[in-house]
Amino acid sequence: MYPHDALPDDVYARVGEKLAEAAREDSSAARTIEDGVSALNGGRPFTELSADEQLETLKGIEGSDFFELVRSTTVVEVYSDQRTWQLVGYEGPSFGKGGYINRGFDDLDWLPDPEAAS
Amino acid sequence: MSTQPNGHRPVNRFAADDSDVIVVIGSGAGGGTLANELCQKGAKVVLIEAGKHHQPEDFINDEWASLNQLAWLGERTTSGSWRIAEGFPNLPAWTCKAVGGTTVHWAGCCPRFKEWEFRIRSEHGPIDGASLLDWPIGLSDLEPYYDKAEDRMGVTRTNGIPAPPANNNFKVMGNGARRVGYKGVSTGRMAFNTVPRDGRPATIQDGFNYQGDKQRAHWSTLTAEIPKAEKTGRLDLRPESMAIRIEHDESGKVTGVVYVDAEGNLQRQKARVVCVACNAIETARLLLNSASSLFPDGLANSSGQVGRNYMRHVTGAVFATFDKPVRMYRGETMAGIVTDESRNDPGRGFVGGYYLQLHSLGVPFLATFLSPRAWGRDFAQIMEQYDHMAGMWLVGEDMPQENNRVTLNRDVHDQFGQPVPNVHVDNHPNDTAMREHAYAAGESVYDAVAATRTFRVPPYPTSHNLGTARMSARPEDGVVNEFGRAHDVPNLFVSDGSVMTTGAAANPTLTIVALALRQADHIEQQLKAGAL
Repeated sequence: MYPHDALPDDVYARVGEKLAEAAREDSSAARTIEDGVSALNGGRPFTELSADEQLETLKGIEGSDFFELVRSTTVVEVYSDQRTWQLVGYEGPSFGKGGYINRGFDDLDWLPDPEAAS
Repeated sequence: MSTQPNGHRPVNRFAADDSDVIVVIGSGAGGGTLANELCQKGAKVVLIEAGKHHQPEDFINDEWASLNQLAWLGERTTSGSWRIAEGFPNLPAWTCKAVGGTTVHWAGCCPRFKEWEFRIRSEHGPIDGASLLDWPIGLSDLEPYYDKAEDRMGVTRTNGIPAPPANNNFKVMGNGARRVGYKGVSTGRMAFNTVPRDGRPATIQDGFNYQGDKQRAHWSTLTAEIPKAEKTGRLDLRPESMAIRIEHDESGKVTGVVYVDAEGNLQRQKARVVCVACNAIETARLLLNSASSLFPDGLANSSGQVGRNYMRHVTGAVFATFDKPVRMYRGETMAGIVTDESRNDPGRGFVGGYYLQLHSLGVPFLATFLSPRAWGRDFAQIMEQYDHMAGMWLVGEDMPQENNRVTLNRDVHDQFGQPVPNVHVDNHPNDTAMREHAYAAGESVYDAVAATRTFRVPPYPTSHNLGTARMSARPEDGVVNEFGRAHDVPNLFVSDGSVMTTGAAANPTLTIVALALRQADHIEQQLKAGAL
């Protein structure tokens, strides 16, 4: 759903763990996942489909409870992962490093200081 | 009462049956400031706060973890045509449940209201579908209190306090704004220290504002007002205490507050005066949940206006990607403003004004808010541009509407058995026209500095919640008078943004603080006169 080719598979595997955890803690989530997975595999098993076919299948269930549960879990997990942060250039927690006052809060050099430029 | 490091809860400073105390419910911008000011004036204050007493060192530089630590996540329901109802149905508002209230996650923008923003109704006459009303006070009534508020909050560019320096994100927005011809472009009036002041250090530009300021450079009631109130020996702070009902006597005067304490026990605190400052949604809910045979429609609600005219500003955001790196997340999140569009110019197709304000999100929140529910390879590729992205927030005046309102959802109850609030919002055509204009303005700013792509971001769950107990000159038009005193109940006050008759374009905190300071003077004078 949020494909970043440079990320290790483990980032996405963690989404599966998170969903399994949700299923253990909440029986209605467990049912949503169970029903959703069996619907996904209603024809040929989802994992045997080509990437394009998988995408089409997902589009077909977009907006369903199952889709939203998986999507919202994925977006939170993938973009809270430090490996994703590193890939997209986000430095994460900064207070322990003294903030950015001496580490480039104003190091953009392709535009002037707008107030000084007035 | 404050929680001690060893886990002991000391006994309350004031007895439950001490009917001489002033009870303030809610410790945010309004309640926290009012409590301190009343303590300074010699009053005994019990400050009831639903949230925990976190210290700045406990705050977390991680967006989701911090949201779970600080946000008010009590169940709420939504209805209406606003996009929040679809995208975030259980989180209509992004406010805090903590000592310090929403000042804890506040970025610090401090524009004042303009003279005409207190009288939009007479400026424009009636507007279809809008329940506009002039404030019972004007700018001149509030100016001395704005002066006082800016001094105690340490607002940059006032009282000789140095301006914030331009950070990366502002260099992009500011240059774009200059190139399209905007004149009111600056790093703004901000309530964080650019130099050490008032016992708090200067900012280290760490970029985490909405998550609580670990550095304590930002003004908040947690770090600035409440510690001063505690030094007077007249503050009794009771965190983790959820007010559920305000009680009154046969004459209709309030007598005290019922709340659930940290151990889950029901408590009753007597009071001479009660001040409600729970943020607009919970303030309305508490008044409605305090209905009685004498006040069948809710406390202080003979006008039927409690919960109505809920405003949350016209908001939205514009992000843009660039060929070269920006790193918008470094530095003070909102230290930048364009004021040109805050003028009143109905020729643009809407009344009221708006600001463009600097704004960034970390990766976790950007992924959630940039395009709610979006997914797929295109979205992932946008996220890979994160360090080449700049951002701004749009904030402007929205129209009060009678049916944009907080009501009690009697089908859903919280853990204390109280009905939860339902928040209903339909956009007004004026709001929609303003948002479209603001999106276009934001995009033009970024296009002027060669953005490769711009993104219109729909409103987030809002932190600006206003109007549900509005001020009015006449009792039939609103809930409180010009001092925030309930028209129906002489010793009941509302002390937060709920009292705003209209919302103006400005971020509301400075005005909430100014109104709280004015209310404190009024309460002091009324106590001296024996009228409370």
